[in-house]
Amino acid sequence: MEKFFELLTQMNPFDLVQVVFWGLAGAISFYFSIGNARVWTSISIGFFLIFLSQAYGINPWGHYQKLTAFHYIVGTVAIMTITHGFLEYYVFCRTFEISGNKLVVYLSTIAILALSGAFLIINPTPSPNTIRNIKMVENAIWVFLCVMNVELIRKIYSAIKDSDISKGFIAFGIVFLCIFLWRGADLYLQIFQWDQDWQDIIALMTEESTDIEEYMGRVQFSQEVSRYAGLLSGISVGGAFTYMYKLLK
Amino acid sequence: MFLLPKGSPLFENLAVSKLKLPDVLTKLSNGSFTGYASFVFQSSTGILVFESGKLVSVLLEGQNGKREAGFEALSALAELMVTTGSGALNVYKLSKDLTMCIHALLEGETLYKAQELKLIDIKTLLEKIKEDQMNGCLRIYTDEHSAMIFYKDGNPLGFFHDGSSDIETSSTESQKIAGLPGAKIDLFSTQSADELMGTNLLEVTNIQKIWDTCIALHKSEIDKTNLERQERDRKAVSLKLAELEEQVKSIVGEYVGKVGRGIVDKEMSDNGGNSCLIDVDGAEKFMKGVERAAKLLVSGTNIKVMMEKLSSAISIGKSEF
Repeated sequence: MEKFFELLTQMNPFDLVQVVFWGLAGAISFYFSIGNARVWTSISIGFFLIFLSQAYGINPWGHYQKLTAFHYIVGTVAIMTITHGFLEYYVFCRTFEISGNKLVVYLSTIAILALSGAFLIINPTPSPNTIRNIKMVENAIWVFLCVMNVELIRKIYSAIKDSDISKGFIAFGIVFLCIFLWRGADLYLQIFQWDQDWQDIIALMTEESTDIEEYMGRVQFSQEVSRYAGLLSGISVGGAFTYMYKLLK
Repeated sequence: MFLLPKGSPLFENLAVSKLKLPDVLTKLSNGSFTGYASFVFQSSTGILVFESGKLVSVLLEGQNGKREAGFEALSALAELMVTTGSGALNVYKLSKDLTMCIHALLEGETLYKAQELKLIDIKTLLEKIKEDQMNGCLRIYTDEHSAMIFYKDGNPLGFFHDGSSDIETSSTESQKIAGLPGAKIDLFSTQSADELMGTNLLEVTNIQKIWDTCIALHKSEIDKTNLERQERDRKAVSLKLAELEEQVKSIVGEYVGKVGRGIVDKEMSDNGGNSCLIDVDGAEKFMKGVERAAKLLVSGTNIKVMMEKLSSAISIGKSEF
């Protein structure tokens, strides 16, 4: 517990705020999923996993490389689960079909995470480069699925715009736009090897050079976008779910 | 139809609805019955005259006075027996000679019709009847009274008047009526009883086939009527169900939005159509399905109000069926 509080105090305030709001989002979405159709189960699991993924900063065992890698995998599974939830919501808006077993979603998610964990366990301890690669894959998937989710949300809104919950979907749209900027900026830096992880790697382990100095303006801009968009994502998702709770009370 | 003497009643007021014409005729034929059977319906009266088991005459007269005889009368009688639920059969045994007179009255040659008595030399007429050895019936009547004198070979067999149930030997009543102002006469003649014996309508008519055809026609009429009624009922139910469906859709749409109509369509389709609304289990499943879908779109408060309205509308709608 002491270690936990120590990590809490050491944590970047931006990251701490994100963790808190993602936690709020996870809690409210879990509340929605109780006694409701399967769509909310997928969405609530997804946001809860994002909370877990963002909470690596306060994970006392976060320095273990395999666990660090697992955090990024959890983040990937999170956005995929959320997207699955919104896809089911869209299918409901078009066909009014809401059948399906919630247990299947829970078990599938646990199974994927277990398999991912097993994958990490049976393979060698990931190097910083490997961890960076995993993070890059996570960012790429996030960016792609955010675009898809924005489109899904747009279609869902147009189908249900005269119902109570429709305004909540506008809030979700804003959330995913913020996430797109957050993860998109991070991915941009990673693709051109201007991210901090790469700088650390080339500083310590390889003899590769970097052209970061030539593009420092873009790098700094992207870093700021990533930072603030990340914060906004957390705040907006907490706000979106609070708004949803108010709409559906 | 003239009122006929009752003679010796074999059956009276038998309910026609329980009888089959072929069976009645077969029984009378096999029993060598002599007399007449009268079928009395609300709209018609049918008289079947038998002579020693042979059906010598069939007459059916409607309320409008229209008469049918022979095969047409038998067919019409069969149809009446099959289609009407009411009617009575009376069977009266008569002597051979009287039966012949009844035949004359019903189907005999009309020698005089509605002749005013004061314009006729009744004495001469009676002498003529005797001279010609006529077989037949002389009917004397006014607007209120009627009497008949039956003749065989020119000799009076007996007298019959309204109000009496049998042949009388006294001519008092007949003379009284003849003396009334405005009295008229009809004179009918027929073949002799022996000549009549040659006729047997049962031999030339397939009564069973006539009866079966009537039954089949009547059944098809009933089936057609039933089908039409069922169709009407089905349409009425279908209309009411459509109204109830529209009411349900507008309630759900009011709270959920335009997708509400789609949700209602889907739930109805999953539960066997809009008839699920009037079925206890079906309505419950339908309501659960709508509520589950509404939870994804509407607040809890609105869902509660909507479900109460739906429940009320469906209960009221169900009570009308």
